[in-house]
Amino acid sequence: MPESTTLEHTVVLMPSGRRGRVPHGAILLDEARALGVELESICGGRQTCGKCQVVVEEGHFAKHGLSSQADHLSPAGSREAETCLSQAIEGRRLACAAQVLGDLLITVPEESQAHKQIIAKAATERVIEVRPTVRQVYVEVEAAALGEAGGDWERLQRALYEQWDLVSLRIDPSALADLQGALRAADGGVTVTLWADAEVLRVEAGYAEGVYGLAVDVGTTTIAGHLCDLRTGKLLASKAAMNPQVRYGEDLMSRVSYGMSEPQGVERMHRAVVRAVNELAEAATAEAGISPLDICDSVFVANPVMHHLLLGIDPVELGRAPFALAVSGPVDLRAKDLGLAFHPAARAHLLPCVAGHVGADHMAVLLAEAPHQQDELMLVIDVGTNAEIALGNRQRLLCASSPTGPAFEGAQISHGQRAAPGAVEHVRIDLDTREPRIQLIGQEGWIEPGSSRLTAGSGRPTGICGSAIIEAVAEMFLAGIIDADGRFNEQATDRSERVQFEGRTGQYLLVDSNSTATGRPIVITQLDIRAIQLAKAALYTGVKLLMGQLGVERVDRIVLAGAFGSFISPKHAMLLGMIPDCDLDRVVAVGNAAGDGARIALLNQDQRAEAERLAGWVEHVQTASHPDFQEQFVAALAIPHASDAFPHLKPSLSGRRAGPVARRSRRRESVSPINER
Amino acid sequence: MSQETDLTHLETPELLEKIQDDLYDGLAVEVVAGVRELLRRGMSPYDSLTQGLVAGMDVVGVDFRDGILFVPEVLMAAKAMKAGMEILRPLLVETGAPQIGTMVIGTVKGDIHDIGKNLVGMMMEGAGFKVVNLGVNNDVTKFMAAIEEHKPDILGMSALLTTTMPYMGIVIKALKEAGIRDQLIVLVGGAPLNAAFAEEIEADAYCRDAAIAVVTAKQLMAIKRGEVAL
Repeated sequence: MPESTTLEHTVVLMPSGRRGRVPHGAILLDEARALGVELESICGGRQTCGKCQVVVEEGHFAKHGLSSQADHLSPAGSREAETCLSQAIEGRRLACAAQVLGDLLITVPEESQAHKQIIAKAATERVIEVRPTVRQVYVEVEAAALGEAGGDWERLQRALYEQWDLVSLRIDPSALADLQGALRAADGGVTVTLWADAEVLRVEAGYAEGVYGLAVDVGTTTIAGHLCDLRTGKLLASKAAMNPQVRYGEDLMSRVSYGMSEPQGVERMHRAVVRAVNELAEAATAEAGISPLDICDSVFVANPVMHHLLLGIDPVELGRAPFALAVSGPVDLRAKDLGLAFHPAARAHLLPCVAGHVGADHMAVLLAEAPHQQDELMLVIDVGTNAEIALGNRQRLLCASSPTGPAFEGAQISHGQRAAPGAVEHVRIDLDTREPRIQLIGQEGWIEPGSSRLTAGSGRPTGICGSAIIEAVAEMFLAGIIDADGRFNEQATDRSERVQFEGRTGQYLLVDSNSTATGRPIVITQLDIRAIQLAKAALYTGVKLLMGQLGVERVDRIVLAGAFGSFISPKHAMLLGMIPDCDLDRVVAVGNAAGDGARIALLNQDQRAEAERLAGWVEHVQTASHPDFQEQFVAALAIPHASDAFPHLKPSLSGRRAGPVARRSRRRESVSPINER
Repeated sequence: MSQETDLTHLETPELLEKIQDDLYDGLAVEVVAGVRELLRRGMSPYDSLTQGLVAGMDVVGVDFRDGILFVPEVLMAAKAMKAGMEILRPLLVETGAPQIGTMVIGTVKGDIHDIGKNLVGMMMEGAGFKVVNLGVNNDVTKFMAAIEEHKPDILGMSALLTTTMPYMGIVIKALKEAGIRDQLIVLVGGAPLNAAFAEEIEADAYCRDAAIAVVTAKQLMAIKRGEVAL
């Protein structure tokens, strides 16, 4: 390399491998940024925050063609040394203080990298880039002088402009009240908490680190809160609680009715949910060793009715066609205005809704699963009392809701119950003997009938939860106990006493009476199967109508979201005909994707804008009033379907023990008359 | 049972039973052939309707109530019934046979669900009623206009949502104000309803499912016509 007139050095930054020539004496932080390596800095180069720490690798590095030594950076001054000591990062250097004096190989530790990336959850490895809406900066404000015009807020604005390029700022009244005290306490050095680089939420004396946010998923039955460090993106605590509105109505429509019939109903439900969020915030911050007053930002996702009640809006319009939302766009407001006991200037953000049945919670699921960033055709289903469905890819995305009813959650099922310890959660039925094996929530391994675990007493099953009902019906179909039309096959009594007929109505004995906690047998009745058929047909029909609208015959990938979705066996869901045919390896359960989406929106301001764009872009399809709904629905009642093929189920279906389906026998002599009521 | 059976060799009771079996199995072509054979033997259109088709649909109704038959099978049976009815309807009018009754049915304002209501309509047709189906999202004006036009014996209202069912009470109130409440049998149904709600809004009966709707309609029609003492 030719000798240059101005002295330059080679700097290589790891782990990115970025390298470049930098002038002698240049500040490492500036040069790293120029090379495209974003280092974090809260104090803006004042050697105070310690966030831009780096490590100098010493030795000769042939691969990089340079020799790197500690003294190739200017020696640390007292301020830097003090900061490194107080933060226990001795041996590291602050890039904002160090000048480049020679060739360097520098490692940028993960904690120094700006726009940190965190993994949302192990299952999908979704990476969240940390770019929070609320952040902190440190500034030094010149002292007021006698005879000088202008106030401290104006001087702070000038400092924020000069040191951080921040302009057109507003300030929250509570921060304004704290401003002078903070400035005087630390000789003009203050840490400012900013919302969207537009509003000052908080001013703290000196260098003060710590800004936190809460992501909340307000579900119809459960509210979940996730406390995050907004700087690192780290999840500090997750807490869940029952939605106290349940006492005013189990399902959404009963809550809307409660608001219609009770003069104070809406206000009462609004206050109940706010109180519950405050309690969650208390619990989560206590676990993290901070206070709810440290929460400066919050993001809420919810279905439209919960969304409206959180805002104190009467959801009456959501209870009847055309299901008009009061507001569909994102809502930004002060948390205090909702009655939330966070920091007095803390903000609250509600993700947008799409339509009367497709809410901010579904938008959060879409943010987390990102079908709009895929080439492959993705089907996202959030299974609940109302199933929300999205189908599409980066070209086009459709969404809809389907009224599945509560059967998948164990309601309307004779021995159904919510997923809780003691509930049967998995079922397998031997194809030949028709004997069942079960798994219980909270217990390991399969349990055979007559096992001592059942007869011994403790840990007996109490009922059957949604995921097990799906498996049981699919297994009964495979074992030939029920026919494709869902009816019990009378021939199936031949090999098993578990298939029982009372008159002409069949049932299957899953757990006999001396093996249950209740002393009553757990059976699956003909009417249970009918309830499941109705629910699954509603879901499948919604999916089919979207596929028709998009003009596609198959999907590449199916994502089952929601707490319930994570417990469903994909194979059984497909055997039952809840979901369309797909490679089973490409059917995944992703758990609470709405909560993940809320965290994404909390930690990344670009994703809030993305959600807004997405809500306007996604096409909502009204399925219930679709002209083909009834025809599709009726065809979808069969198991798995009256006409659609399921090639990926061939291995399972070919082993099915189909009983002979004769002409339907009807014995009029045994028919009992219908009695009114 | 797809093999050709020579209907002419069957005794009439056997033929009636076969029509009922074919109806149960939703075999429209066979039902039509059976009805034609009944008429050929000189059975009146009214007796062919009641002893063949309606009797067959009664069995369908019972098995639907018990979960033995389900929506697709009932729809198939109703379609077969309709095919048989198409032959009988002009003859019934021609012979001045007694009317079983007329029903106006619809889902109330704000509600767009109608599969359950359609099923009730088909079962009522299966029982020999003339059914005028107004579809979904019907307000008071639409119900009143249909009652004015079709002069029904029965008004059926359906709602799938807790939030839309109170509208049934509004319709009944409007019937009272128009002074026509007492001329009508008002039946209500839908997932969130119950008998107490029906009583509260002063409907005549809550019907849990399509089969019960048919039985209730027949009973109340009999009372209305003074065939049964109260």
